[in-house]
Amino acid sequence: ILAFPFEDIGFAEIQSQFSWQESKVDIVICSYDDQFLVMATQIGTMGTIMHARKEEGMLNTPTFNVSVIFGKRDEPMLLACARQLIEHISNSGSSKPLTLSLGLKDHSMEILKGIVSAVIENRLW
Amino acid sequence: MDFDPHASTIESSSADGIVHEVQNLGINEESSTNITCFSDVFNDIPIHFQIICFPKQIYAWIGCQTARFGSLYAAASTRPNNIVSVTSLLGGTSDNTGSGIARRIVLKTGVPVTLACNIPKDSPMLEAHVEKKLIQKLIFLGYTKSKPQAVTS
Repeated sequence: ILAFPFEDIGFAEIQSQFSWQESKVDIVICSYDDQFLVMATQIGTMGTIMHARKEEGMLNTPTFNVSVIFGKRDEPMLLACARQLIEHISNSGSSKPLTLSLGLKDHSMEILKGIVSAVIENRLW
Repeated sequence: MDFDPHASTIESSSADGIVHEVQNLGINEESSTNITCFSDVFNDIPIHFQIICFPKQIYAWIGCQTARFGSLYAAASTRPNNIVSVTSLLGGTSDNTGSGIARRIVLKTGVPVTLACNIPKDSPMLEAHVEKKLIQKLIFLGYTKSKPQAVTS
């Protein structure tokens, strides 16, 4: 469901859900003026929160900075997920940074790929 | 409190100056994530609220005039003795407008809170108004911390 709950300001949100191995993953994507927020959770909380941004450098190809700002700092697959999404955002033409929160029961590559696909399918960029 | 998970009505309410409210964009009964958005006006300044209720956590965004994300704070009960701690995750200028709000929401609701807000600094009246509106809405949504039994002499 895509919604524009506030008139006159550039704010949009999408709520979605997909099934993964007998549980559901709730996904919320919000677009603010200066940022995207993506949340995917199975566990009832936001989980680990990461921030990803594009860095304008001297090179033709952009570089990205991805870091955990709250939660598990020893799960590289979570950062990989954030990295994939910020690159997709950048390739779609937006320079906005991304705040991503993942509250997942397991951090396997399969579920993270599923989340990346579901977010891209419902993207706001 | 009766809560209709399928309600997604847009209504204008004259009570308390709430201009526009969109409630619960949950797509089906099984969605445990409920989103509530509403707007308010304070001294001709439009203020927008977005509350996302997870089963064990609250995320809220407060937008003052614009849809800028602002600073992000996390607050929760921590050791020792379940006192409430708050930290700035993103943004976090020295004035920490919003960190007090996050902390007091945890005190009132007992649930960990992540709050993003772009309220300008040095506006204590605005900050107090915004906090009041947000807490009113959270109580309306069913978040009340159970009070300890009153001691009778």
